[in-house]
Order: sequence, then C-alpha cells, then structure tokens
Amino acid sequence: MLFVVIAFLGVSLFLYCLLGGADFGAGVLELFLGKSRQEAQRKIIDKAMGPVWEANHMWLILMVVILFMGFPAVYTRVSVNLHIPLTAMLVGIIARGCSFTFRHYDAVKGRSQRAYTAFFVFSSVWTPFCLGVVMGALVPGGIDPAARDYASAYVSPWLRPFPLALGLFTVCLFTFIAAVYLVGECPGDDGLRRSFARKARWASVASIVSGWIVFAGAHADGVPLLAEFLGFGWAFAFMTAATACFGVLWVALYRDWIWTARVMVGAQVALILAGWFQVQHPVLVRMPAGDLTFFNAHAPAATLNQLGGALLVGSVFILPALLWLFLVFKSEEGEEKPVVG
Amino acid sequence: MSDLLAARAQMALSLGFHIIFAAIGMAMPFLMAISHYRWIRTGRRVYLDLTKAWSRGVAIFFATGAVSGTALSFELGLLWPGFMEHAGAVIGMPFSWEGTAFFIEAIALGLFLYGWNRLKPWTHWAVGLVVGISGVLSGVFVVCANAWMNSPAGFDWVAATASTPGHAINIDPFRAMFNDAWKAQTLHMTISAFEATGFAVAGIHALLFLRRPSPFHREAFTIALAVGAIAAIAQPLSGDLLAKGTAERQPIKLAAMESHFETSARAPLLIGGIPDEKTGTVRYGLEIPGALSYLAHGDFNAEVKGLNDFPRENWPPVAPVHYAFQIMVGCGMILAGIGALGLFLLAFKRWRPLLYHRRYLVPCVLATPLGFIALEAGWTVTEVGRQPWIIYGVMRTAEAVTPMPGLVVPFLLFSAVYVFLTGVVTWLLWRHIATVEEKYPSAREGA
Repeated sequence: MLFVVIAFLGVSLFLYCLLGGADFGAGVLELFLGKSRQEAQRKIIDKAMGPVWEANHMWLILMVVILFMGFPAVYTRVSVNLHIPLTAMLVGIIARGCSFTFRHYDAVKGRSQRAYTAFFVFSSVWTPFCLGVVMGALVPGGIDPAARDYASAYVSPWLRPFPLALGLFTVCLFTFIAAVYLVGECPGDDGLRRSFARKARWASVASIVSGWIVFAGAHADGVPLLAEFLGFGWAFAFMTAATACFGVLWVALYRDWIWTARVMVGAQVALILAGWFQVQHPVLVRMPAGDLTFFNAHAPAATLNQLGGALLVGSVFILPALLWLFLVFKSEEGEEKPVVG
Repeated sequence: MSDLLAARAQMALSLGFHIIFAAIGMAMPFLMAISHYRWIRTGRRVYLDLTKAWSRGVAIFFATGAVSGTALSFELGLLWPGFMEHAGAVIGMPFSWEGTAFFIEAIALGLFLYGWNRLKPWTHWAVGLVVGISGVLSGVFVVCANAWMNSPAGFDWVAATASTPGHAINIDPFRAMFNDAWKAQTLHMTISAFEATGFAVAGIHALLFLRRPSPFHREAFTIALAVGAIAAIAQPLSGDLLAKGTAERQPIKLAAMESHFETSARAPLLIGGIPDEKTGTVRYGLEIPGALSYLAHGDFNAEVKGLNDFPRENWPPVAPVHYAFQIMVGCGMILAGIGALGLFLLAFKRWRPLLYHRRYLVPCVLATPLGFIALEAGWTVTEVGRQPWIIYGVMRTAEAVTPMPGLVVPFLLFSAVYVFLTGVVTWLLWRHIATVEEKYPSAREGA
C-alpha cells in the first residue's frame, strides 16, 4: 500500500501543478492584459476558471491529507520549520479564492470590482511563489530539527537562494500553463487567441530563464542539482525531453494546434516533476542529521492500508465526476425551461 | 499573550469562523433542493427565482468555507504539530474521507452553479442534492475526528520515558474513527447546522417580507422555517443523547457545563448562576432538584460526579464552559418554541395565514442569529470543556503546541484576515439582498 499512497501523492502533486497551476497562472496573466480588450480577456478567464477552480484546489487538500495521515513525521516537520512561508501561502489562498468568487458573485458590478481584481492578481502571484518556496525548502537540507535559535530554525530553511528561485520558477511555469490553456478557451475570437498565444510564448521564455535561475540558486545553495541531473541518466533524459517540448509548443502555438499544445504542457509538468522525483527519491525532506524518506517516515501499515483504500475508493467517485464536470463545460448551453406562473 | 494562548486563540478563531460557513454549506443545498424540486414540478417562477437567488448568495459562502477549510488543514500542523505527529496516523482516516467528500462537493457545486441550461432538469436537481449530501458527510467526518479527541480509541499510548517520547502503538484507524462519541456528536452537529441555517434564512426573509410582502419571500420563509423548526425540535433529543454520553466519557466536562462542584446524588440542574472556581460555589443560580441526575443518567437519584473529585490541574475553565452551555441551551429552547409553533401553524390549513402575521414574523426576525449563537456556544462547550487536554486523558494541549515563538503574530494576522472577510461577506450579502427585488420578478409582486 505504501506505493499506492506514494503514487497518489505524486498524481495529486502533478494535477495540482497542472490544474491548480493553470488557475493561479490565469490570475498572473491578468497583470499583462494590456490596454485593449481587458474586459473581454477577463471574461474568458472568468468563464474558463469559474466552474472548476474549487475542484482544482482540492488536489492540494488531498496532498495535505496524504502527508499527515501517511507521512505524519514529514507533515509535522514541515509545519514546524516552514511555519512562516506556509502561513504566507494560506493568506494567499484565502485572499485568492474569496476575491475571485466575490468578483463574480457581487450583486453590484461597480467600483469594488477593481479591488477584487487587485487582491486576486496579487494573491495569484503570491500564493504559487510561496508554494514554490515551500517545495524548494525541502531540498537543500536547511531544515534542522536541532536548531534552537529563531533564525536558523524558522527563517533560514526557506530564505535562501534555491527555494526563492523555485518560487519564481513556479510562478512563471504556472503562468505559462494558464496561457497555453486559455488559447483554446476563446473560440471564434482570433484576436484574443493570438494575444494569449503571444503571452504563452513570453511565459515560456520566462520559464526557461527562471529555470536557469533555479540551477544557479541550487549552485549557490550547495545543491549539486546540475551534477545530479547529468549524473542520473533518467533525470537528464526527463529534463531534455521537457526542454524539447518547448520546441513543439512554439510550433503548436503558431499553428493553433490547441490540444497538441495542452498535451505538451502537461507532459512538461510531468517531466519536470519526474526529474525532481528522480533526483530526490526516496528523500522527502533533506535534513542535516538524517533525511526523512518515503521509507522511514511513513505511518504504520494499518494506517497506510486504510489510506490507500480510501484513495482507491475515493478516486472511483472523484475521477468520473471530475471528467463529467470538464465535459459539461465544454458543451453548449441549452434552452431555458419555460415558466408557467 | 503566551504562545499557547495565542495558538489556542488562533485555532478558536479559525474554527469559529469556518464553522459558520461549513454549517451553511451543509444545510443550504437542501433548502435549495426543496425550492428547485418545486420549480421542476410546478414550473412556477417564484421557485426558480428563489433557487437562483439562494445559489448566488450561497456561492459566496461556499468559497469562503472552502478556503478557510483549506487553511485549517494546514493550521492543525502549524499550531499543533505535537498532536498531528501522533494523531495523523490514528485519526487520519476520517480526514481522508473528508477530503474525498469535500472534493465531490466542490465538483458537484461547480456543476450545479454553472449547470443551468446545460444539464437536464432532474440531473441538475440531483447534482444539487449531491452538494448537500457530500457537504453533510464531510461535516460528519470532521466531527468524527473531533469526537476522537473527546473519546480517544483505536490505539494504545506508550507514555514518554527519559529516552523516548510518548507514542501510539497498535493503531486501528477504524476503531478510532468510530469511537464512542461519534454518533452523538455528529448527530448533534448536523442537526445544529440545519437549525442555525434554517432560522437565519427564515429570519432574513421574514424581515424582507415584513418590509414588502411578496411570494418570493413568503416561500423562502416557509421552506427555511420548516427545515429549521424540524431541526430545532429534534435537537434537544440529540443533545440529551450527547449529554448522557458526556456524563459517561467526560464527567469533568459535564460538571463544568453545570458548574457542579460537589459530587452528589439527586443532583440539581442549574439554570443561570455565576460560578466561582476559587471557592467552588455558584451564586444566583436557579436549581431544579434531581434534574441533572436525570439528564445525565436517566434517574433522579443517580450520583453525578462533581469537579472537586478531579485533580485541579485537570479542570477545564469552569465559567466559560458553564456560560456557553447556558447560552446554547437558552437559544435552543427559544428556537424549539418558535419552531414548534411554526410547524403547528403550517400543519393546519386554516391556521396557516397566521404564519405570515406580524406577531409571528417579528419573533422570527429577532431569532435570526440565535441558531448560530447556539452553534458557536456549543462548539465552545465541547472544545473549552475538553481543556486542558487536546486528546482527552492522553495528551495535554500544552504538549502539542508548536515550539515556534512569537505565535501572537500569526494570530493577529489571521484575526485581521477573518475580521475583514466577515465584514466583506456581510456587505456582499447585504448587496445581494438589496438587489433581489430588481433582479427577480417574483420578489416584486404583492402577496
């Protein structure tokens, strides 16, 4: 069952980065809507994300549940030492979900819309940045349970080059995912489609650049990322493939091959995570005095069996329902039922 | 402010905030399903308007509940890592089921809110019902975990020694989830969600109906009142079940609820009163002889344990628990009274017009917040009444708190966020209500 649980953790992380990422990225894109046709672009974003954003963020909850039930030692260690970035992320999650919903459901569409948008855009940048910082802090070994003073226990684990660089990369990558997704969400409007495709290309450049910053950050932090990537055959292959996807993507964006572009983005995210997994495995949290790994931090077998069972049974309900949700919103709207009295 | 106090305050604030949205998320879909059912069946405009108006208001509450719930799943670890380290493996099961239910709820909500004209009418209705069912289930699962904190089961605890910290062995997640308290607690919580939401919605529509009678507000008031009233009448029964269980499992909590200091047979039920923890006395209370013995053990002569039988360091704060319990019961009684009268008027066709009489509507308006006050007070009873334990009899709250100093900062941060959000949500609700007449024709016609 341990492997079932690990698989679900991986799949949840992947889907959160892809679906939740597209959702965050859409918020970031609102920063770059340009002068003309702002409203139309915002409408596209609203329409594409409105029905699905809550479901997209459930993958995060699933990850948290898997961690604290399956790997309680990891959950607690991370909660203690990364209190500050996690709290910062939570405030972002709250601000983002609320402002997005309030913007849509405020009965009066007046000046308050500007305030919601400001909160929404800011928290859309802030939250994935914090997420990246938290993920990055697991790698360089800055989390030290023995640390006693405030700075080394609660600040230096995350306030260092690698986590910060990964935060930046996360924001860029999510923006890229969103832009590619939105290209396919404006049927019949070539102007908007071209504008999202242009944003996607810029975001891909930003992702590549920030990807190199991650490698630089790793070097500065003493993480032998480059060496590890070059040393491990698979990780190197994954990264090369992920970079190669950019080439196909650019062509696809020029030619309007919407599904090719989407599949490529999904493949990229999967490859990046697979590469990361390959480098980290089996370590979850690197620590000076002994890492927490999949094999030394997991819960007892009875708990893992329950968790694995719950995940398997749950996915029987969740996955078809999710598919249905996505399909329904690709369908056309029908006629309204007539009113009798 | 000490770190422990700050952590407790932040947790209390976060839960106290979230519980309102969770309760609305549990009950409101059923109110909408009733109205939606009538729309499909009768094709009358008023039910369509009502379902749509409610769902727009509710979307705001759902989103706020979802994000504050997400925050809570992190805060458990951020504030109480000592608890989660051990509890995760034991009581994670209901959380994993809760995650599943919450997921289904989010999917179904997306389908419901945006499914008008895309789904077949009955499919759309069923999806709305799924929102409610999964909402209730996720509430039940979370309360199962809370019940375990009150009535720990499904593990053996190895006490800390000089070399090893305390830890759980022989873990049985199934027994942990279905502990002795789960039935009574989940029942009481679920009913309270319907009671609080039903009366709050009924009260708001009663006020609007008084201002300007319309079929819209009349139907809304009737549906919400009926749901709230049935819940309010059932609630004392589930409360009795829970009190009897508490007398068995946590006699000290019951003693604090009742400010019952000395163990005695034929123990009196205390109504009101100001307890003094130092002297172990109560001033100004009204006592009903034997009633506490009866409520706790079903026998007027049974012995009820008093606080003085327990070591002082295991006492919960007596006065807050006592006051909260009094407030909860008081609000519950008023609502049960209003509800019983309402159901009576509703049941007989010739009395029904009186339901919409000023004399009945005004008390309903005044009762708008009572259900939620009772809900918060009841939550205070169960949480503060469990102190100083986080896992009753096993782990103290002070042992579970994070070692990070300066917890007052996140507490103030979350306070600011939640105060601000409360303000915004209230304002949005007000704006929503203010535009109902303009948006929905059935809210304009005279009744």
